[in-house]
Amino acid sequence: MSTVATATPLVTVRRVNRHRVQRRLAGLLTYLGLALALAFFLGPFFWIVTTSLKGNEDFFAYPPVWIPSEPSLTHYGRLFTHSSGARYFTNSLVISSLSMFAALVVSLPTAYSIARWRFGGGFLSTLLLVLRMLPAIALIIPVYLMYKLLGLTNTYLGLVALYTVVYIPFAVWLLIGFLRDFPVEIEEAALIDGCSRLRALVRVVIPIIAPGLAVVALFAFIATWNEFLFAIVLTGIETKTMMVLVTSFTTGGTDQFYGEASASVVLGVLPAFAVAFFLQRYLVKGLALGGTKG
Amino acid sequence: MKRFRPATCVAILLAALITFGWLAVPDRAPGARPYEGTTIRAVVNAEYVKYSLTLVEKDLYDTLGVKLETEVIPADAFVAKTLLEFNSGSSPWDLIMFGPSNMPDYGRHFEPLDPWIEKMKLNFHLDDIVDVFRKVMLRYNGKLVSMPYDGDIHIMYWNKVAFERPDNQKKFKAKYGYDLKPPKTWKQWDDAAEFFHGWGWDGSPNKLFGAGASYKPSGSGYSYHWWRERFFAYGGNYFDATMKPLINTAAGLRALEEMVRTMPYYPPGVLLFESEEPKTMLVKGEVPMLCSWTSTGKRVGNPAESVIVGKAGFGIVPGAEIDGKIVHRPPITPGRGMAVSKYSKKKEATMKVLEFISLPEQSLKIVMDAKTIMDPWRVSHLRSEKFRKLFPDADKYLDAIEQSFPFLVPDPVIPAADEYQRKLSFEITEALAKRKSPKDALDTAAKEWDKVTERRGLEKQKAFWGEKLHEMKSLGIEYRPDWAAKAK
Amino acid sequence: MRGSALALKRKQWEPLAFASPSLFLITLIIVFPLGYSFYLSLLNFDLAVGPDAEFVGLRNYTEALLRDERFLGSIWNTAVIIVPSLALELLLGLLIALLLSRVIHGRPIVTALLAIPAMVSPVMAAMAWRMMFGVKFGAINNLGRQLGIIDVYFDWFATPFLSIVAVVLVEIWHNTPFMMLVLLAGLQSIPQELYQAAKADGANAWQSFWFVTLPLLKFTMAVGVMIRMIDLTKIFGLIFILTFGGPGGSTETVAFNTYLVGFKDFRMSYAAALSYVIVLGVLALTLVFMWISRHREARAA
Repeated sequence: MSTVATATPLVTVRRVNRHRVQRRLAGLLTYLGLALALAFFLGPFFWIVTTSLKGNEDFFAYPPVWIPSEPSLTHYGRLFTHSSGARYFTNSLVISSLSMFAALVVSLPTAYSIARWRFGGGFLSTLLLVLRMLPAIALIIPVYLMYKLLGLTNTYLGLVALYTVVYIPFAVWLLIGFLRDFPVEIEEAALIDGCSRLRALVRVVIPIIAPGLAVVALFAFIATWNEFLFAIVLTGIETKTMMVLVTSFTTGGTDQFYGEASASVVLGVLPAFAVAFFLQRYLVKGLALGGTKG
Repeated sequence: MKRFRPATCVAILLAALITFGWLAVPDRAPGARPYEGTTIRAVVNAEYVKYSLTLVEKDLYDTLGVKLETEVIPADAFVAKTLLEFNSGSSPWDLIMFGPSNMPDYGRHFEPLDPWIEKMKLNFHLDDIVDVFRKVMLRYNGKLVSMPYDGDIHIMYWNKVAFERPDNQKKFKAKYGYDLKPPKTWKQWDDAAEFFHGWGWDGSPNKLFGAGASYKPSGSGYSYHWWRERFFAYGGNYFDATMKPLINTAAGLRALEEMVRTMPYYPPGVLLFESEEPKTMLVKGEVPMLCSWTSTGKRVGNPAESVIVGKAGFGIVPGAEIDGKIVHRPPITPGRGMAVSKYSKKKEATMKVLEFISLPEQSLKIVMDAKTIMDPWRVSHLRSEKFRKLFPDADKYLDAIEQSFPFLVPDPVIPAADEYQRKLSFEITEALAKRKSPKDALDTAAKEWDKVTERRGLEKQKAFWGEKLHEMKSLGIEYRPDWAAKAK
Repeated sequence: MRGSALALKRKQWEPLAFASPSLFLITLIIVFPLGYSFYLSLLNFDLAVGPDAEFVGLRNYTEALLRDERFLGSIWNTAVIIVPSLALELLLGLLIALLLSRVIHGRPIVTALLAIPAMVSPVMAAMAWRMMFGVKFGAINNLGRQLGIIDVYFDWFATPFLSIVAVVLVEIWHNTPFMMLVLLAGLQSIPQELYQAAKADGANAWQSFWFVTLPLLKFTMAVGVMIRMIDLTKIFGLIFILTFGGPGGSTETVAFNTYLVGFKDFRMSYAAALSYVIVLGVLALTLVFMWISRHREARAA
């Protein structure tokens, strides 16, 4: 990529020098630009983390201090003891993991069906697109009423089912891209060897598109973790998630519980960091394979 | 397909197992504590309310054997979510926190208290509840259904440094022709705000602000409470007897125009301030005066954060001078109540819990704690020696609250009260943000009010309002069309 | 066509069987409730009044489209937020993607770090920024004061214009990384030979960007913009935490307005009608967008 300038051996010394200066300058600017971008995109995280670590002394200090003199975990402690933080965190983890798993299991065959057999023609893909447009508020009341009838409010099952479905459109859309890219010949070979279609999918296709699947799965995890409108309405005390906890701190002015609020935000963004590190290598590759291509 | 079904089943099974595992509640075992083993579920609208309940948790268990499990539903979805549950004819909660201005839309889901008081010989110490709260906050269709939990009203706070510095007094007198004193009328308030804004009235080189307020239209509409303090002092009322809105009359217009004119004297950010931000500015010595909830006093007196401990004054919210007499109209803003769900399966134990947390000494713990934002609502709270010595001048602070009680103005507690308030609050901020003229804004609000009334049924609303009108008259509040021009 | 050889061998029931788990779930949990939601939009169901409601026909829809100035105003507000957000996200995302594509060492980790904001929920993003913008404890005011740039607090939400700027800024922070990822993916799928060919033809860096990169990136950009556009019409979390639609109603978006109607006024039927209006609007917008990009592609060919 940045090898543009290396393929030109026949130039005068002066031009080489000028090139070198230009290249250095470009390199410098590149890193400067990226450093700026990093500062902008990560700065707010730095601020909430330091805020959450402030002990009471620093906390009421004015003007606020940048780095707490004595970092303390009091706010986290209170979050876990007084505000059921541990329970909500676990709930979020369990619900997100189950939804991630279910979304993958359900979406892959559907994507396969659309990618290989153009199942549903244009209708199904349009339907999926429309589903992605739905604002949560259009669904929430009927879903609530239905869940109430079925006894699914305040259960993991209800939430997992809902989140799975809500995530299907995006998952299918990404997976179609991976599957279209997948060399059909390999699959054909497996079919000729007497594999069933499903077996071929599991044995041959999945291992090869695994990086793509990881991307889809972890995106599903994140999407579920981050959802809060359904979570507020459909959960009870046993199934509340982190996002609900965070919003419980926002009303009436946060000044009194600023520390707990920032601690809950830190816990709330933790998975984003985790996923980013897990996915480092696949993040772009996954998307490149997926839906961004025709 | 075949391969995936078992996987899904396992997932479902797993989920179900975990859920039911947590649902299990230990059996009730009788003992010295009469309700040993019972868990009561409360629902509240913020983490800090949950925190306030933890202050009585231990005593509650030691006395009754009841454990409290408190669910927090964020305030911005609280009423809708609880109504959804109630409308389906069941609710997972026993004890319910609510905003009294929602009572008309909410009260039908509460268990009336009187039969239980008789049956269980409960004592809610009703005589000890501040008169006006007992009158306007506790009843639905004439039946007692709830206890106060948070007695919100506004009083005025000021920083004595600002008002007593000789230099400030001299300058003020020269500019306005009268003595600098904590304002008694809104005219004086606006003068003082203008005077104090933009310089170091505490002798520092800092640029400080003229006055504090909260103008965000969230909750039940903060900006509306600040507008109402002026509006009623200028002789306004919500509706006339035929449900025609009176908010866009001369009184309303004058109140809003004053607010718009004085906007520059308030701190940056005031348009999005909720209750706590201006309080922080007061205790940090950045605003010289603030009308705010009574809980503010506890923050003023908390040396961990306040720089004005012992330097703060407390008094009644400013009013208007009408024919030589000053009329004060501090608002009830709007508070919290606790009630027992009609759908609770543990009504008896819940009644006991409600009685317990409302006991004078127990509720005192809640309203005295600086972090709870809960305001005193019993006469005994105000007279408690412990509370009166909690911080320097705490006695003056509690007296200022008591002094305000006879003049309080309640919310328009009729069906859709909350909606009326928020629609009005929204239009007020439209004017404050200079997106509409005050006249336009109030006219639009009046139109919105008419729409709400029409939707809820004019006759029905009129009947409810008639009762309230009567109630307000008994509190000495009436529409006075001539005051707006007269008020000084 | 690559799928054809396989297509011949398929069993009739297979496509349906493969798709059926999601179809079943979608029908049960989305399509069926949506139908109910439409029915609801024809009633006057109000949570505060009680579970009984009357049939009012299309009255909710006529109210939304003819009488509800606040809702109509919120359509405009949404557009005012969407347009600059989309443009800036695209530009910045492209810029960062191009910068990233020049880096060899440590690219994955830098990419991952830059991508984090996109994986944070809007509520979290808004909370973090509320703590940045805050007049009293906010980081920006704090920094400004310590550097001596500002002597009083700077209020990011003082005027309607500033407030929109602040919301757009946070939106850019939140979702530029997504655009960046998509565009980086697009960039990487452009064959290197094309650049070498352009170089051989004597094209400079700018020319090769303009004549090679941009045309080949067009489709990716269109996809990215479309996804963001659809999501932006639903913008709610940011508004809810940052501005509450204010000051006045200047940042009250359609999704936020619908939330207020449903969750604050308890008018569930009306909220259902509003969400139908929104979905139809977005659908129309998407179709127009797709039509335009297809049309231009066809013309270019």
